[in-house]
Amino acid sequence: MINPILKFVACCRAAGYRISTAEVIDCVEQLELVDVLDETEFRAALRANFAKSRRDQAHFDRLYHLFFHELRGDLSEQEGLAGKADQVINSLRDQANGDRSHNAIIEFLSGDPLMFLEMMRQIQTQGDTPSLGMKFNLGPLANRLRVMVGLNKVREEIGRYLQDNPFAFNSAMRQELTRYFHEYLQSAFALLLKEPRPYTDEQRGYKTHEKHLMELGERPFASLSAREIEDVRDVLDNLVRKLKDIITRRYAQNREGVLDVKKTLRRSARYNGVPVEILFRKRPPKKGKIVTLCDISSSVWSAARFMLNVLYSLHGCFEKVNSFVFVSGLKEVSEVFDNNEPNHAIEMILKDLEFNYYVPTDYGETFRQFKHDHMDILTKRTTIIIMGDARTNYLHPEDRILGEMRERCRRVIWLNPEPLSSWNSGDSEMYAYKQHCHELRQCRNLNQLIEFIEELML
Amino acid sequence: MTFKNVTDVQEKLQVVGYITSREIATVVFLASATNKPILVEGPAGVGKTELAKAIARAFDCELIRLQCYEGLDEAKALYEWEYAKQLLYTQMVKDKISDVITGAKTLTEAVDRIADQEDAFFSERFIQPRPLLKAISSKDPVVLLIDEVDKSDPEFEAFLLELLSDYQVSIPEIGTIKAVNIPFVVLTSNNYRDMSDALKRRCIHIYIEYPQRELEMRIVTIKIPGISVRLTEQVVDTVRNIRNIDMKKKPCISETIDWARSLLALNVEEITPDVLLETLNMLCKYRSDAQAVKVKAQELVN
Repeated sequence: MINPILKFVACCRAAGYRISTAEVIDCVEQLELVDVLDETEFRAALRANFAKSRRDQAHFDRLYHLFFHELRGDLSEQEGLAGKADQVINSLRDQANGDRSHNAIIEFLSGDPLMFLEMMRQIQTQGDTPSLGMKFNLGPLANRLRVMVGLNKVREEIGRYLQDNPFAFNSAMRQELTRYFHEYLQSAFALLLKEPRPYTDEQRGYKTHEKHLMELGERPFASLSAREIEDVRDVLDNLVRKLKDIITRRYAQNREGVLDVKKTLRRSARYNGVPVEILFRKRPPKKGKIVTLCDISSSVWSAARFMLNVLYSLHGCFEKVNSFVFVSGLKEVSEVFDNNEPNHAIEMILKDLEFNYYVPTDYGETFRQFKHDHMDILTKRTTIIIMGDARTNYLHPEDRILGEMRERCRRVIWLNPEPLSSWNSGDSEMYAYKQHCHELRQCRNLNQLIEFIEELML
Repeated sequence: MTFKNVTDVQEKLQVVGYITSREIATVVFLASATNKPILVEGPAGVGKTELAKAIARAFDCELIRLQCYEGLDEAKALYEWEYAKQLLYTQMVKDKISDVITGAKTLTEAVDRIADQEDAFFSERFIQPRPLLKAISSKDPVVLLIDEVDKSDPEFEAFLLELLSDYQVSIPEIGTIKAVNIPFVVLTSNNYRDMSDALKRRCIHIYIEYPQRELEMRIVTIKIPGISVRLTEQVVDTVRNIRNIDMKKKPCISETIDWARSLLALNVEEITPDVLLETLNMLCKYRSDAQAVKVKAQELVN
């Protein structure tokens, strides 16, 4: 009993889940209490212990299905087939040339998806290892292609083996085996092609229904006319007012803190030393801190300006907003925003002549500078919002530094103004940064921005 | 306060009017067998809170509820010293205090003598227990419902950890209070924000979805005994169709029940698009949602 569970856990981990040992122990203990032959109960026990958030569940279900249905499927039903299948797999193993992906596929066929899943995960999260200054982002794509070729090769090998050994199998058995391996390969293909999407939760409900300003709301920021920009500002002003209302109400429940001895004693003097009135220390509500990093190369800037605008209009709701802009280097602009009205501040930054807008964006250098100069502003209450297209112009992405930043703060949110389909294409390093972000979002029009701000604040 | 097996859970909960799927029942059973808290997630109105209430009814024990909100702190959730009472008592026993210190030669001695009496003021007499302490120190077994835990602050979540893993709380002045009976803990969350891994690790997790058609029909039948099978079918099917529309707030189980009730009150026997439109405000709580339903009323009913 324990063995398959441990194997399953290993697979889940390979696929990128965090499952702690304690959870495994809990789960095994609990399985003793339920009827493991009843699948609903068995599954519920695994799911209750291993997939502890909504976003994991769909993926968990897929793994579960893969592990307990697709891979174990017919083996138990047909003893003979299992033996023969092993025979084929063994011969494949003999021929194997030590290539990792090839091995992984063969193991996958034999019912152990661990290596294959690990490989998938690597492909999904990998950034490129830069070699000699020049680097390509085709890595994940190429790897995927290689695995696909590998799968086809294995399929051919199986066919050849079956043909070469006509005496070992009768024709019915051969058909069975072909079908059997076909199913396996098919599910491997499915894993390869279906990549988990960035998580969207329907429960939060904000989708297209709020047809607020349907037309304006869906227009990319970059293509707005001057007049439309004004409209967008109006909409955002409304939003800001609405949010402020909600938030002041939230903080208005003036929380009472601990007893304030000093004040109470002083007040008691009024009543002949009897402490009739008890005074408490008022605690200021705790507010979050925001750090924004905005790419201000032209395409991104059109979206970033609106985001900054909203954030600064709401600055009363945060303890502090630190903002930085960057192209090839980092510059702190918090002061400009603190001392000026948001729209004015944005104009000032754009007109700032010191800043060179016409050089290639360098994310790596930006992160290096941030690490060097500003790491100390990150605390456990900080939310980092990075706005950029992650196009590094083939320079080193320094995603490790983003990882370090993540360790020090509460949340890292990456807003990408490009459509989902063009992420990871060309010099975009979304893959490399993805693993360090808590949340990735598209933010290219008003509706998406509003959605983001509402979730951030509420 | 335990269940025998999964079927037993389903039966006992059904007796008190809560119908569960096998999956939910399994989780409830496991939680009761291993003394672990349950973390229930799911959209609003699928019966997360009701689950805790039903468990309390099934065990026939008290339900202690702690509603979480932003700014909830230990003083509101665990315990608070009754300062006013303490101070007034100090005033009232002033004479006694002077008795205690008469004869003391030095100030140090006087302070020492008073210090010996300190326990009198930091004792359980002056503690005002809040839900969590109440649940822990209760002599009879209780069900503790920590509702909408995602609305509380991260600090509060950290503070819950001690309670949930060891079922004990520390009060600096008194010491550690261990649970007399381990309460059955249910935490509910609306996915407002993610709970920390540490908290999740200590809980058994369940996500309650909108129920399957058959299950929802059974729920309606058990909640409204007089309803006809045909109407139930129609109500459930229509609501399920409405849920498929992209809307701000989808109608949940409680809204299905409310709607069915109001249809009964109106003596409706057959749902037509007109009936749906007239009673729409039972189902849709936003104007934009109502609009979306209105447009499609014809196909929704069929």
